[in-house]
Amino acid sequence: MSSSHRIALGAALAMALTGIALAQGGGTKAYPTVDRVEFVLECMQKNGGKQEFLYKCACLIDEIAQTYTYDDFVEASTAARYQSLAGERGGVFRDPPQVRETAKRYLQIQGEAMKHCGVPR
Amino acid sequence: MASIRTYKWGVLLGLAALPGLALANQEVIKLTQDSKNWAMQAGNMQNQRYSALKQINKENVKNLRVAWTFSTGVLRGHEGGPLVIGDMLYVHSPFPNKVFAISLADQQIKWKYEPRQDPTVIPVMCCDTVNRGLAYADGKIFLQQADTNLVALDAKTGKELWKVKNGDPKAGGTNTNAPHVFKDKVITGISGGEFGVRGFVAAYDIKTGKQVWKAFSTGPDAEMLMDPDKTMTWTDGKMAPVGRDSSLKTWQGDQWKIGGGTTWGWYSYDPKLNLMYYGSGNPSTWNPVQRPGDNKWSMTIWARDVDTGQAKWVYQMTPHDEWDFDGVNEMILADGVNVKGKPRNVLVHFDRNGFGYTLDRATGQLLVAEKYDPKVNWATHVDMKTGRPQVVAKYSTQAQGADVNTKQICPAALGTKDQQPAAYNPANKMFYVPTNHVCMDYEPFKVEYTAGQPYVGATLSMFPAPGSHGGMGNFIMWDAGTGKIVKSKAEKFSVWSGALVTAGGIACYGTLEGYVKCVDANNISKELYKFKTPSGIIGNLNTWQYKGKQYIGVLSGIGGWAGIGLAAGLEKDTDGLGAVGGYKELKNYTELGGVLTVFALP
Repeated sequence: MSSSHRIALGAALAMALTGIALAQGGGTKAYPTVDRVEFVLECMQKNGGKQEFLYKCACLIDEIAQTYTYDDFVEASTAARYQSLAGERGGVFRDPPQVRETAKRYLQIQGEAMKHCGVPR
Repeated sequence: MASIRTYKWGVLLGLAALPGLALANQEVIKLTQDSKNWAMQAGNMQNQRYSALKQINKENVKNLRVAWTFSTGVLRGHEGGPLVIGDMLYVHSPFPNKVFAISLADQQIKWKYEPRQDPTVIPVMCCDTVNRGLAYADGKIFLQQADTNLVALDAKTGKELWKVKNGDPKAGGTNTNAPHVFKDKVITGISGGEFGVRGFVAAYDIKTGKQVWKAFSTGPDAEMLMDPDKTMTWTDGKMAPVGRDSSLKTWQGDQWKIGGGTTWGWYSYDPKLNLMYYGSGNPSTWNPVQRPGDNKWSMTIWARDVDTGQAKWVYQMTPHDEWDFDGVNEMILADGVNVKGKPRNVLVHFDRNGFGYTLDRATGQLLVAEKYDPKVNWATHVDMKTGRPQVVAKYSTQAQGADVNTKQICPAALGTKDQQPAAYNPANKMFYVPTNHVCMDYEPFKVEYTAGQPYVGATLSMFPAPGSHGGMGNFIMWDAGTGKIVKSKAEKFSVWSGALVTAGGIACYGTLEGYVKCVDANNISKELYKFKTPSGIIGNLNTWQYKGKQYIGVLSGIGGWAGIGLAAGLEKDTDGLGAVGGYKELKNYTELGGVLTVFALP
């Protein structure tokens, strides 16, 4: 994707997501727009950048936002993301039972949301 | 490029009256003294990570905005940070170690360098394929590649000027450290303690790449560039000569040949004393039972003459390591630090072993050695007469023996701090230290040495320090004169980013969640600014000024892949050490690479 396309898509997404955020009102638990856009962009990219995933990925982050407060989402998604970190330093995420548990729970919730939103695993 | 040329001419003219001084060193010192630049990885030769810029200050830092970003397009851990010289920014990537020269005027790539490296070097790297950044001097950018090639590039064009091989990846030697330019030499070390490499530092002529000297961490005196009568060490409360065969006597047989003591940290330099300082890492293997003796000079703070490489003094922090408390962390030089009522010119070092050391940097005299995390328990204290840590038997993996799981040792092998460098504020003489707050269970086992194969010999399991705030990190403010924590700010995850402190009264660091945080430098509990970058931060923050505007920059990207669609990834058990190759599956996933995020006031 060229950078100009990406910007255009980002802007479109930002508008779309602001709309979603407004529509959902207080249920969004104060996720910054930038986090939602970033999440959707990354999720779309993982799915070949197809337009349908704009909707599916937006659905996914909205579902997650129904479960986690923003701070809890940041902590849980960080724990999940770095379970796969190689070498000694990855142990900081893999070894502690509570971090592992946090990661596991996050991936379960995300997994269910993926099923619901039609995002393949 | 105009401004680089101007700088250089200015320096050359200024030096015309001072024949005999090493030009490159004067040039780099001059560049670092102009705080508009960030001309060395730590900002200056003293490793202080301090900037005199104050446009961004504690009143207005809350208004910071993203000014621009740059993606390296490379996954994996991004350590170090960019250099800024005049109107150019130079930034590196992890393996394959790309270099980008970016024009600050329009953020366009002026040139790009991508070395061809044999990917078989990847599995030989113990702890991800990081690279801690570039060095600049004499119109050249120096890159220390993973495959141990040290390369000089023309700063204007990116053209390769010379290249020299510094080690042997087939025998486990790799490089992750930034090269350091002191005087007319570029100095580098080696990684591979987990592969039984014998550590060394080597100095190369910046003009030609010719090796000027090479000094090992272990072995015969001559090969360590150590003088039995003149190289000093702390002995019974005073400095005394190390004596003959000081290393050989502390190893069984030939074990020093595969003894580790690698050198992948942050070096510093005192131009007045003409001494450079660095630390040597853990002895190999991690199984202490297999290598009796003090294993000198692993785990040691070294002071060497930059011209000859001769060791002026040494201090071994952790004799006979039993926990992988690698001694490579940065050496910070600070002047006029009040130690017991007297202003001293000191070297300050936050070791992995959990002790913060303050030494007289001219003589090597031990002044202060105190815990910088109250949970540190493997030793009760450092005996100030002998300089030796007083090891607690319960946490001694040697005393417990091989195949016994020694529990609840604090800190974990990653140390109370790993390589992520601390910052020093000359205004209040305080140190700002990013730390781990993590403990471990540790079980050594017997291993045989095979060249190029992991030589680890221990399994371990980590967890947050028990009986504390439950998080795995702290950002602390440290008084190196008294050896006391002045203030501690708790973090959920370990803090693996290098700190920055400025004359604007702010201290900044990054977190594994991806936050850039700036706090009040006099009261670090006061968070003034927080911004979430796209990925976890293990890079070091820095700052510069261009066209009247101050910028703060940081690399984010720590490796690991996003949780999305990877629920299965969790079930796969520990990849363990030496398993960077476990990343193979990564190519199936697309993800933005590491990102340089640059902030400014609106």
